[in-house]
This record gives sequence, C-alpha cells and structure tokens, in this order.
Amino acid sequence: MAAAAKQIQLLARQLFKLSVVDGVVSPDRVAGVLQYIEKSAPAHSVLALKAYRRLIATELAKCEALVEHAGAVTAPALGAIATSMTKKYGRTITTTTRANPKLLAGLRVRVGDDIYESSVSSQLATLSVSV
Amino acid sequence: MSTVLEQIEQQIAKLSTKAVKKNTGNIRTIADGVAKIDGLSDVMYNEMVAFPGGAIGIALNLEESEVGCVILGDVSQLKEGDEVQTTGKLLSVPVGKALLGRVVDALGNPADGKGPIDSKETYPVERIAPGIMARKSVNQPLFTGIMAIDSMIPIGRGQRELIIGDRGTGKTTIAIDTIINQAKINKVGLASGDAKFRPVYSIYVAIGQKSSNVVRTVAALEAAGALEFTVIVAATAADNPANQYIAPYSGAAIGEWFMENGMDALIVYDDLSKHAVAYRQISLILKRPSGREAYPGDVFYLHSRLLERAARLDGKGSLTALPIIETLAGDVSAYIPTNVISITDGQIFLETDLFNQGIRPAVSVGLSVSRVGSSAQIKATKQVGGKLKGELAQFRELAAFAQFGSDLDAKTKAQLDRGARIVELFKQPAFSPSPIELQVSVLFAMQKGFFDPIDAKKVVVAAANMKNFFTTRKDALLTEIRTKAALDKDLEAKLQAACDEWKSGYTA
Repeated sequence: MAAAAKQIQLLARQLFKLSVVDGVVSPDRVAGVLQYIEKSAPAHSVLALKAYRRLIATELAKCEALVEHAGAVTAPALGAIATSMTKKYGRTITTTTRANPKLLAGLRVRVGDDIYESSVSSQLATLSVSV
Repeated sequence: MSTVLEQIEQQIAKLSTKAVKKNTGNIRTIADGVAKIDGLSDVMYNEMVAFPGGAIGIALNLEESEVGCVILGDVSQLKEGDEVQTTGKLLSVPVGKALLGRVVDALGNPADGKGPIDSKETYPVERIAPGIMARKSVNQPLFTGIMAIDSMIPIGRGQRELIIGDRGTGKTTIAIDTIINQAKINKVGLASGDAKFRPVYSIYVAIGQKSSNVVRTVAALEAAGALEFTVIVAATAADNPANQYIAPYSGAAIGEWFMENGMDALIVYDDLSKHAVAYRQISLILKRPSGREAYPGDVFYLHSRLLERAARLDGKGSLTALPIIETLAGDVSAYIPTNVISITDGQIFLETDLFNQGIRPAVSVGLSVSRVGSSAQIKATKQVGGKLKGELAQFRELAAFAQFGSDLDAKTKAQLDRGARIVELFKQPAFSPSPIELQVSVLFAMQKGFFDPIDAKKVVVAAANMKNFFTTRKDALLTEIRTKAALDKDLEAKLQAACDEWKSGYTA
C-alpha cells in the first residue's frame, strides 16, 4: 500500500513537471497529460489524477492573487495589487476578486499559501485577543 | 465608563493599519494527534503552528508537498480542510520561581486549579545543550537521603544518574525521596542564614503515568513539605502522545532557567521508556522509517539531546537529571535501556529479587555505578563508607559460596556477618530520607563495630533507635558534622563517645 502511494505521488509529480513550461502551467500540456492518462490508463489512475490536480491547483494559486473585499475595489487598485505582487514574487500574477462581507471593510489578498490582510474584521480579532 | 472607552480607543490606535502577512495551510488528514497539512510553505522545523480553536501544533515533518504536525491540546474540534497558520515562534513554556509548588501540563499551563501562574519569562522547549567550554566538572554532592546511594553511588550536581528497574521496584520512590531530601536540606540551609548556601529546586516530569499516580506523588510531596520547592510537569496517560513527547523538554526548559540564573535544580524524568513509546507512536503516524523494535532511527538522539541539557555551568548553576527507565524482567540489555545507560553518568539498578526479599531500596550494588565517583562525596562519607561497596561485593560472593558448605573459617564468617548487617543497615522506609550527617554517624557506628553484637535481624530497629538518639540528643554533634563535612580526630572522639553512650542505653 505504501509502495503504491509512493508510485502514485511519483507519477503525479512527473506529470506535473511535464505540465509546466518556464515556471507557468501550460493549458496545452495539461490537455496532453490528460489525454495520455485516458489512453494509457495507468494503475491507480484516479488517485494519480487527484494528486496531479492538487499539484496543479497549488501551482496555479501561486500565480493568482485572490482579492477578497468588503465594498467596491477599483480597477486601478487591482492593477496596483497585481503589479506589487508580481514584483514581490518574481512571476506574473493576475488578480481575481471575490466579495466577502465578513471582512466588514478592507481587503484580504491570497497568493498561494500567503495571505495579506488589512481588514476591520482581522483588526477586531487582534483587539479581542489583546484586551 | 469613559475611561473604559478611552482604553479601547487607545488600543485601537495602537493597532497597525498595515497589511499583515500570514502563511497558511489546510489540514489534509488528522489522526491520533498528528495532522498532515497542505501549504505552510514558509514553516520552519519545530515552529509553532496555530490551529483553529486555540490548539497549537509543532511542525515535525517538512516534506515536499505536505507538513506533518503534532498537535498539543484538544484535537476534537479540528477537521479536514481547517485553515492553520504559522506563528514564526518556537514552542516556549513559562519559567521561573512562580512555578514552584504548581502542577503544570506539557505547555506550562496550570493543571492544579490554583489559578494562573504569574510568570514573567518563557524559555524555548527545544534548546541546544550547553557546550564544552561553558561546563564545569561535577564535584558538588547532591544528597538523595538514601544511605545506600549516598555512600556507594554518590550523585553530584549536574550529573545524569539513571534509575532503572522492573515495575514496582521503587524507582519513583527513590526519585521522590531525593526531592523530599532536597526540600529538607533547603529548609535547614535557608534557616541557617548561610550566604553560601545554594538551595536545590526540583522538577518532577510525569510522562504517560496514571493520573492517580501523579496525584499520589503530589500528595506525598505536599505531606513532606517539599511541594513548595518543586514544579510538577504532568503529561499523563490520558494526554495525547504529542504532550507526552514534549513534556520532558518543557521540564528541562523550566530547570534550565534555574541553572542559567545561578541556582541548582534537580529534574526527574518519570519515565523515559514511556517517552520513547510516545515518540514511536508519533513517528509511525508521521510515516517516518522505523528501525529496531519499530522505534524511529533518531530515538537515541531523542534522549541524548534531552539529557545533555543537564550540566554544571561555569559561573552559573547546575541541572541534575534523574531519568527513570522501566525494564522488562530485569533486561538491561534491551534497546532503550542500553541507549539511556550509555548517555548517562551512571545508573542505580533496582532488583525485583531484592525487593521481594524485603531489601528496600532494592539497589543492586554490583550493577549500580556512579561514573562521577567519590569526587561528588563529602570527605566524611568517604571516611566512613569508602570501603562499603567492596565489603558488600565480597559479602555477596561469599554468601553465594557459603550456601554450598557449612565449614567456614572465622574470617569468612566475620565478613558474612558484617555484610549481613550492612544490608540490614541500608534498609530504609519510603519517603523518609536521612540527612547526610545522620548517615555518617550510623556508618561510623557500623565501621567501629557497634552493630556487631546485635542480631542481624534486629539491626534495622537498632539503627532506627540510633538515628533517633542522635537526632534528639546529639543535635550539636550532627550540626558540627554537617558544617565541617569531614571527620577530624576531635569529631571522631565525640562520635565514639556518643556511640558508647547509645550502646550503654540500648537493649536489643
């Protein structure tokens, strides 16, 4: 069982490497990988695909800044966030937005594992801990 | 009302409006107090990780695609997908004198219902042991109050002395006796007003023990008035393995505070066999490769890095460690016992057979050793007990031979008689350690043959009577022995006279 899990991880990692061109996930390569899996049907293909999906999702998240906001966010502000994050991480980062009223006011930007937060809800949480 | 509002407003003003960066991850799997986490790309080895609901984890496995964390605290509210975040801090515990007299858990939180602990400082749980240059040789005694140990297997401040034996042979009792004795010495020393007196503070770490046993230990210490000089770190069998794994390191951090601040401390790890088992459990769940007896490859380092933190520091204090190991059927050559024997500076081996024969403490003289030797003994003890170990070893050998023949020469018979009396003399009830000056007096009497006319079976009663005589009627003499710490001709004459006086008044 442990050996099979190791093999699955190895296959997923190999497929992932094939899907990345110049540090960016290539949709064409991903399509090619999926075709290969469909044709060859390797052992534990569902598990391998799940592991592959996780790796691709992690990589895609690194190139995308998810901007959660309570209230309106202007296009120039989003552009500034994208420029700043691109400079910080040294790779092209695009922005997507999502309204989140729980923030009360302010923004939360997620890039990969990192979260940058400047919102009233987080400040209130800090306040509740410190009082 | 307005003051309260002002306080809140000040607090709000203090809060930075700058964006705060957090590194996060999500729980992928969670089982037996161990979580596998996706993300946490910035996490450091041994870093504290914050889980929802206030639980804390320690990052132990940093792998390519996931992080393995042990969770300290309540895991029942955690579930797959929960967000966790790094803290940028190493796990730390409160330290200082505020912990004395308290029972705390592996994280230093109070577990005795006596309210919060007013501690100003914290120390990291994992620390690098003091280096070679910072150390000083061990030459100051740490009296256990147990005559068999203080006279034959002396322990010094900063030493690591293993207590090893099967279950129910009195390992914990020896440790508790030692803690009680430190408290007794502290009380006498502090009352004397001697500026040079250095009290010894004790830390008792209970690992994987039954809660009832911990309660019993606390009660014994409290009854003996030793709790005020003691910190108890409890990670009982009911706690998860992560807490049991971290508890001895927390105890060591508490002890290090005393050592670093020029004080002396004693730490008891009860016991490291259960600690190794807890670590094995964590390692297997983390899917680390297993070796002999399914222990992970770094089980030696687990204990060596812990016990190396006990030291006597140049210009500072000391930390003496008494680790306990439980053997199975007296097998000292098992994996964990041999590891810990090789790390420590000696061992006190307790034998089941001796225990069952009524010889308590059941110290096996042949297998017990203190590598620090007589440099950690006061001169008076050396003078009266220097040859005891040899005499007892000869007695055991002759006793074995004597079983095969009845015709014994006078010399052999005398040696056997003397040996039998020494064995009886070393019998000591639990939780009643003897002060060193009293030990010296009794051993002096033995050396001078005062117990020779007494039937071997009545030596215990006679010794108790003699101790009572010295305590109640020769207090000045005992004080002189304690302060001089060596027997000169004058003291020897006084001791001789006191023993004669006792003998004239004692009827067996």
